Amino acid sequence: MIAASLAVIVIFTLAPIVASVLLSLVSWDAISPPTFVGLGNYERLLQDQAVIRSFWVTIKLAAMIVAAQVVIGLGLALLVQRFRSTFLRGLFRTAFFLPLLVSAASISIVFTYLFNDKFGVVNYYLGLVGMSGVSWLGSEAGATATIVMVAVWQQLGFVFILFVAALSSIPRDVLEAVAMDGAGPIRTFFAVKLPLISPTVFFAAVIGLINALQLFDQPWVMTKGGPGDATTTTVILIYQAAFQNLQFGYGSAISVVLFVLLMILTWLQFVAGRKWVFYA
Amino acid sequence: MDSSARFSPSRRAVLSGALGLGATAALSSCSASSGSDSKALTVAYFGDPKSAASLSKVADPFRKANPGVTVRFVGTTGTDWNEFFTKLLAQIAAGNPPDIVSVATEGVQLFASKKLAEPLDEYVKRDKSELQSYFSDVHPSLVEAMMYEGSLYELPTDFNCGNMYFNSKLLKQARVDYPAADWTMDDFHGIAKKISTAAPDVVAFNWVVRLWGSWTSFMYANGGNLLTEGKYSGGDWLWDTFYANDPAAKGRGGGFQWGAPTANSDAVVESLEYMLQLKREALAPQPDAGGGGTLQGLFTNNKIGMSIGGGFWAGGLHNAGMGMNDFDVQLFPKWKTQRHLFGTGGFGMLRSSKNKELAWELMKSMSSVEGINVLTAGNVTTPARRSMMTADRYASTGPKHWQVFYDTLTKLPDTAPIPAPPYYNQMATALVSRTTQALSSGNVRSALDGLQGDLEGAANAVT
Repeated sequence: MIAASLAVIVIFTLAPIVASVLLSLVSWDAISPPTFVGLGNYERLLQDQAVIRSFWVTIKLAAMIVAAQVVIGLGLALLVQRFRSTFLRGLFRTAFFLPLLVSAASISIVFTYLFNDKFGVVNYYLGLVGMSGVSWLGSEAGATATIVMVAVWQQLGFVFILFVAALSSIPRDVLEAVAMDGAGPIRTFFAVKLPLISPTVFFAAVIGLINALQLFDQPWVMTKGGPGDATTTTVILIYQAAFQNLQFGYGSAISVVLFVLLMILTWLQFVAGRKWVFYA
Repeated sequence: MDSSARFSPSRRAVLSGALGLGATAALSSCSASSGSDSKALTVAYFGDPKSAASLSKVADPFRKANPGVTVRFVGTTGTDWNEFFTKLLAQIAAGNPPDIVSVATEGVQLFASKKLAEPLDEYVKRDKSELQSYFSDVHPSLVEAMMYEGSLYELPTDFNCGNMYFNSKLLKQARVDYPAADWTMDDFHGIAKKISTAAPDVVAFNWVVRLWGSWTSFMYANGGNLLTEGKYSGGDWLWDTFYANDPAAKGRGGGFQWGAPTANSDAVVESLEYMLQLKREALAPQPDAGGGGTLQGLFTNNKIGMSIGGGFWAGGLHNAGMGMNDFDVQLFPKWKTQRHLFGTGGFGMLRSSKNKELAWELMKSMSSVEGINVLTAGNVTTPARRSMMTADRYASTGPKHWQVFYDTLTKLPDTAPIPAPPYYNQMATALVSRTTQALSSGNVRSALDGLQGDLEGAANAVT
């Protein structure tokens, strides 16, 4: 059983990682035989402004997405937890979780229509309150905000469910004791609830960051990485390099660097987590 | 350390190695297979896989003539040719190449330069008497667009020039008459303003960021191009054989040779600046990038007054519910020139095919009048054979001035294919990125300087 599990891990996880590293050392268009170039792809990568810019764009988007997901997800979980009706709780849990079940590409197409500058519903309603003509997908700030909104909206259900479960697991007697001591809702949240659910907050932040750093569907469908390269994430660049330009070696080199960056950021999260995550 | 001690703990390693070798062998066998079984042909086309059954009818005459040969059509979707090629190249790289591929102008040089496509020269020379009627029916511009370094790679079956479509209802509402064939950019701008004034909730003109029929149409009319134009030598064998007495074939060569980038030349900058001006004057909105589905939908719903389209829009608009008098088409307006751009489609044979003779027979069959009739059914594209351009063909779909489609080739001899060098994919990606940058930042010159750099980098990478 263990051997079978190991075999699956080796074939489907380890082997692709090793293959990516090996591919990053060659120049290969998938049609002609590969040529060994050593660290040539990495040298090129360090001088490629498009790649460097894509890392910055990705980190910027990921930071906004993770922060918004955690804050909004936690806020909604706190609100829903206040409902006494089981029906209402179930209704909201389902409503927030549903977008997670729909493909990101489909959602992105729908949101592209909603945020269309001229004919979109969003601008229509903004126009009714005197805020017409917002260039949602045609400006750098607008496109960034729209993609963050769509990504957060879709992924929120996962974080929300985590927080609902975590808040439900807080012992009732602890909360009652705090209430008897006269603590208000804000004090209760920061002094009791947040420390007790901090492992969940940490988990949501780590998983959210890993997902957000691999953002592809929303910017690809909604803006093709534009305007300019304002929403060109690193994974878009990997896709373009490998599958559009047939530079599989270069694409692999970028993916290896992204993999390393992901590991470093996750490690940093763990280091920082030691100071604020409370494992009871 | 004895041998048993060495081998005993390595059982897992052996197992893993065996699994690895097994997987490698399986992958290798996949790679070795070309997907071209004997007496079977696979045709990959750009389109909805669901339309394979109807499209497959194009091979019926071939099937009758070659009983026992299986022909399978495999559709691949995508927002544009760039995406189709991406998927197709991945399929080929995975060791599963088809025998025949539908490749438009966008990919001819890409496939030829990578030695994926088979030159058709010897096949054409051998069957010249059989092909005489075909070439006499197809404009030399289309044929030349399918050539690379002196060799022919495809028999064009269809084409689309970047003409101007009008929404008849909005034109009438603005009290604008159908423009004359020699209308100018000033006329265009004036009509756009009238449409906008008459119906403030619509956009006078809309477009899509892409290579074909985008701001590139304005660029061609303004005498600019993204790349220096040249012609490969060679091709005389074809012109002398099939077009000896056709004045339109004069000066043709062995295909378009796309040279040094000129993306930041004055004519190109001026063209994109004009698009920015249209946006600033609210005569055109921020355009979408990629396919033209949304554009067509908005046009159908009377939200767009004018847009660039080819013959394929006739069928598209009709299928979307527009009546034949609800829209019309005219030549693109004259700026410094009235040069149009076009793209042409056809089928190429892959070098890896194990059934090249059969593939060639099928390609010839698909280029016949009957074959092209199937491929262009419903006017979803424009037949490459001029004899097929009849009033009957457009009687049910429109537009009224359907003659414009072929007239673009015959009456405007400087009409040329879109610039599609071997690095087309990189070029298309850079074009989208830099165009949206220009429209977003308002700094056209800077964005096109960037495009120039992108194209120079891409060109250097392939040379």
